[in-house]
Formats: sequence, C-alpha cells, structure tokens
Amino acid sequence: MSGAGNREQVFPTRMTLGLMKSKLKGAQQGHSLLKRKSEALTKRFRDITKRIDDAKRKMGRVMETAAFSLAEVTYATGSNINYQVQESVKQPRFKVRARQENVSGVYLPQFEIDINESINDFKMTGLGRGGQQVQKCKNVYTKAVETLIELASLQTAFIILDEVIKVTNRRVNAIEHVVIPRTENTIAYINSELDELDREEFYRLKKVQEKKIQKAEIEDAEIRAKMQQQKLNGDSKKLHETGNGNSNGNGAKENAEGENLLDNQDNDDVIF
Amino acid sequence: MEGLFFNIDNGYIEGLVRGYKNGLLTQSQYLNLVQCDNLDDLKLQLSSTDYGNFLSNVPSPLSTSVIQEKSSDKLYGEFNYIKSQSTDLLTKFMDFISYGYMIDNVALMITGTIHERDRSEILERCHPLGWFDTLPALSVATDIDSLYSTVLIDTPLAPYFKNCLSADDLDDLNIEIIRNTLYKAYLEDFYKFCQEKLPIPSNEIMLRLLIFEADRRSINIALNSFDTEITPDDKLKLFPNFGKLYPFGHTQLSQTEDIESIKQVVESIGEYKNFFDNSNGKTLEDHFYQLEMELCKNAFTQQFTISTIWAWIKSKEQEIRNITWIAECIAQNQKDRINNYISVY
Amino acid sequence: MTSEANKNRTLIAVIGDEDTVTGMLLAGIGSISSELNKEKNFIIIDSKSQDEDIEKAFELYTETRDDIAVLLINQHIAERIRFKVDTFTKAFPAVLEIPSKDHPYDPEKDSILRRVRRLFGE
Repeated sequence: MSGAGNREQVFPTRMTLGLMKSKLKGAQQGHSLLKRKSEALTKRFRDITKRIDDAKRKMGRVMETAAFSLAEVTYATGSNINYQVQESVKQPRFKVRARQENVSGVYLPQFEIDINESINDFKMTGLGRGGQQVQKCKNVYTKAVETLIELASLQTAFIILDEVIKVTNRRVNAIEHVVIPRTENTIAYINSELDELDREEFYRLKKVQEKKIQKAEIEDAEIRAKMQQQKLNGDSKKLHETGNGNSNGNGAKENAEGENLLDNQDNDDVIF
Repeated sequence: MEGLFFNIDNGYIEGLVRGYKNGLLTQSQYLNLVQCDNLDDLKLQLSSTDYGNFLSNVPSPLSTSVIQEKSSDKLYGEFNYIKSQSTDLLTKFMDFISYGYMIDNVALMITGTIHERDRSEILERCHPLGWFDTLPALSVATDIDSLYSTVLIDTPLAPYFKNCLSADDLDDLNIEIIRNTLYKAYLEDFYKFCQEKLPIPSNEIMLRLLIFEADRRSINIALNSFDTEITPDDKLKLFPNFGKLYPFGHTQLSQTEDIESIKQVVESIGEYKNFFDNSNGKTLEDHFYQLEMELCKNAFTQQFTISTIWAWIKSKEQEIRNITWIAECIAQNQKDRINNYISVY
Repeated sequence: MTSEANKNRTLIAVIGDEDTVTGMLLAGIGSISSELNKEKNFIIIDSKSQDEDIEKAFELYTETRDDIAVLLINQHIAERIRFKVDTFTKAFPAVLEIPSKDHPYDPEKDSILRRVRRLFGE
C-alpha cells in the first residue's frame, strides 16, 4: 500500500507538508460527515422499505375491495358500464402534485393528491339504473387510488434514496480507502525526505567543521613553528626585543579564535 | 273463451317457455352454488343444471366475465329460437322486447360516432338482443346530422327519435339523457301496444310488469339526478307517463333534492313501502329486483298468455346476474356477501 | 431531472385490463387531450392485445409524455413485458404494479419489491 506509487507527486518541502496536513484533516472531517449522512439516509431508506412492503400488501386488499365494488355495479346496472365510462371521460378530476421533502440534503418527491370536486364526468352514468352504485364505486376507487399514490411516493423515494445512498457510500469509500491513505503516504514521504535532508546537512557541516579544525591545527602548528623560530632568533637578541615578540604572539592567537567562533555560529545556524 | 284460439299460434311457444322456466335455477341449486370454493367447482355444479356443459369449451382458467358471457349466450340463443317460431302479434311483441336493448345499442353507436371510435369495436359491444340488420349501417355516418337521418330511416326506433329528439340534441345532450328520453318513449309505446293489441290476460299481466318498470325508472332517475344539471322540468320529461306514481308522484319526485323526500313520495304507494328499508344490508336495487322477480313469478300462474316470455327473459337475466355475482364473490373471496342473490323459484 | 421538470407531472396513467381501467376512470384519473390526436392516458389490454402494443404504451407513458407522474400497470400485464419494467429504473414517472380482479397480487413478481429483497440479501 505505501509503495512509492501511492502518493501524490509533490516536492517534499515544508510548505507542501503543511498543505498535505490540512488536506488530511479536511478529508477526515469530510469522511465523518459523509458517513453520518449515509447513515441518516440508510435509516430513512430502511424505514421506507418497510413501509413499501406494508403498503404493497395493503394495496392488494384495497384493490380487491375496489374490484368487488365494480362487481356490485355490474350487478346493479345489469349491464357492463365499462364502455360508457370510457366514453364519458373528458378531463381528469384526480391529479397529483409533486412536493419536495428534504432528507439530509436529498430532495424526495412526495405526491400530493389534488382532487377537483367540481369535475364529475360520470354524474349521469347509470341514470336509469344503478347510478348510486356507480357513485359508491367511484368513491371506493378514489380511496384505492389515494392508497396507490401514497405507495407511488414511497416507491419514488425508494428509488431516489437508493441512488443517493449508493453515491454517498461510494464517496465515503473513496475517501476512506483512497484519499486518506494517499495523503498519509505523501506526508510520510515528505517527512522522510526532509529527515534525509537534515541528516545530509548535518553530515556536511560536520565535514566542514572537521576541515576547519584541521586547517586551524595546521595554522596553529605553523604559528608555533614560527614562534619557535622567533624564540631561537630572539634568544640571540633577547636583550633588545623582548616585549615586541610577546605582543605579536598574542595577536595571532586571538585571530584564530575569532575564526573558530564564526564557524560555530554558521554551524548553529544550519542545525537550527 | 280467451284461451280458445291461443294454442293455434302460440301453444308451442308457451310450452317451450314454460319448459325454459322449469330450467331456471331453484333455491336448492343456488345453495349448492354458493358453497363452491372456486370457479371450477362452480362450473361442475352448473353442469348438473339446465346450463349443462356450456363452459366445456372454455380454456382454463375460468373468469367471471367468461361465465357471464357464456350464460348470456345461452339466453340469446333461446330468445332467438322463440322469436323465429313466433307469428304475427307475438313477433311484434318480441320486437318490442328487443327495442329496449336496441336503445342501448343506438346510444352506444351515437357515443362512438361522437368520439370517432372504431366501428368494429363498437359493434362488438352491442347487446345481441338489440341487434337489427341495419345496425352496422349506423356506423357509416360520420357526422351527427347524417347519423340522425340514418337512425330515422334505418332503425325501428325511428318513431321514438322523431318525437323526442332533434339532430342538434344528439350533439348537445348528454348521452344518458338521450338514452332515457328514448326509453321513456319506448315504454309508453309498449304500454299502449299491450293495452290495445294484446288479448286478455296477457295485457293485464304485461301492464302490471310495465308499470313496475316505469316506476322503477322514475325513482331511479329522481334518485340519481341529485347534484346534476337536470332541472325538475327535464326530469319530468324523462319519467314515463304511466305507472303508479303518475301523475302526482312524478311532479313530487321531480322536485325532490334528497333521499328522504323521495322516500316519502315512494312510500305513499303500498307495494313500494319497504323499498327504503335498509335492514339486512339490502339496497334499493335489491328491493327492485326482488319485486320484479315476484311479479315475474306470478306471471307464470296464468295460462294462455304471451307475457310469460317477458317474465322468463327477465328471470333469466336476473339468474345470469345471480350467477355472475356468486362467481364474483367466489373469485374475489368475498363470501360474506355471497347470499345477496335473488331467487324466487 | 430537476424539480422544475417534474412540476408538469400531474397525471396518473394506467395500463390495465378493462375492469381496472374502468375503476380508475371512475376515480377520475382519465384525461383525453383536447388536441387533434385525442391522446388518452389510459389503455385497455385484453387477451387480443399484442405484447408490442403494451411495450409501445409503456414507452409512451414513461419516455415520450412528460406530464405523467405515476404509471399504474396491472401486474399480469407487466409480466408480459417484464424486461422492460425491470430495466426501467428512473424515479419519474413512478411505475406501480397493481393487482387486477382476476390476478391477485404476488409480491414475488414486483420489480421494486425484488429490488428491496436483493438489497437486504434475502
């Protein structure tokens, strides 16, 4: 998983590290939010599924009653009213309106029944015979269609929710299994690169210091050799130039120490 | 004396009809039918009755509409046989019976023409008893005017049309009003025919039956026209001008606006007193059917009468309704209502 | 699939046998367009109807027309064009399988209920 391939192509700098860290944080937050959304939707979904199951069974009963009331009409009118009914149709009395309901940011349609009582194409049907049964049957069927519409709302919600839950779960999984590990890998990669740089720098400085010390020692040796020489020379002119030689040696030493200090400072700077 | 020459023309037919009447399902046969668990059982039970194996050529599974269709076919066959045996006055009488169905068919054709439906589809839906040779010709008419003239020329219903409706009415009026206007004219004409042409005792019995038919229509129209745009005057025009409720009852009925007031009017007639009794879950329609069947049953008590044919047809139609009802109850598992059928024989 | 587009969907269409359609029409769902073609929102399927007719009607109500919110179809008729019903997964119009007089409701065949079952791994 944490192979070199599964990370983003970035320059391992401190700034990218900062970016990656905030990205990881964002991804984790998003993941928990989406997870919660998915849970809320699934809860709703299960609820709806159960209601669909019940409603479908109820529909079976309701439609039976309705079909039976049509049989009563056939009995009362003594003939088949089917054709009359079909031909009397003009305009719909029974319509639906779609209303939206918001569940965790998902818009679920809810069909509302919209009955226009002023329209009745079948007032006259069965005028001479069985008109009352026709009206009664009309009412029974109106009830039945109301049940059906209720079921249709549930079913549409079911289909939409199913779709949305699938999408949400896909996102949750994508974040959980791709985005987060990938970002984490990138962070680890940057860290390791940075550590590597540190170590290199440290080693380099050590090397520089070493060189400097060597150099200083050589210089020291030279100075000492010189001083030795001067001493030998000075022994012969001891009487004339004592104070002069002394002051010269001190000055050289101070100079060497000053350079050392500078080196040290440089070293600190990089390590810092 | 009146029966002296009856058998010359009508003896065979009367015998035939009485034979058919004996084939009507009896109470005990109904009891067997209602105990069936499924439609195949029902078929088995029916095969031991006069229906025989009328369902033998029907592929499974059975449906109630097939049972209804097949049993109706049997009735139509018998009716047509009788009609082909009939002579003179009886033929005229049989014609009158079929006019009632013709009105339905013509109304169907008018609706179909207005809505530009396929003619073969409409012809299929026509009632076989109301079939006449020129019926398909009606569908040739494409607009209302030509339809009106075709109806006047080609159908036996011409007189009813001529006196009650104009070509414009066909377009403007609701088809149900046209149907009921025609039916009223038809019933009045039939009434007159029975009064003037039929010998005693046929006329007495027929008048009794027709009076009931007229009253039933009047009550139904009054009842079913609440909340519609039919005015009291229009309603009066739809009531047949005879019957026990005529004329005072009609005026009252046309003014009514609720069931209670109809009840008051109807209950003033002794025979109709229990029509609005809702106990035992009986509806008004049930009471109508019950009374109609009683009247039909009584029609068989007298000999030398052609009114038996009418009574037999009505009884048979009720029987088909009963069978369909029972089949429907069985098919839809609504056994608690299954005893709603009406049986008098 | 915006909510605006669904505002026009107000009608209920029905594909069914004669009795079912009659009942639905009695309830008042019927609509015949006032235009010349007199398009109806209901169709009667009987034993003589071809499967192609059903498919055509199904397509008309689900794809072509945009004023239909709910499509009711008798289950035994849906059974004849099962592949079409099963492959229709859009939310609008809502396709609802309903029982008919001669064919009681069988939850096993319902495409939505089957989806429910599948989701719960039954």
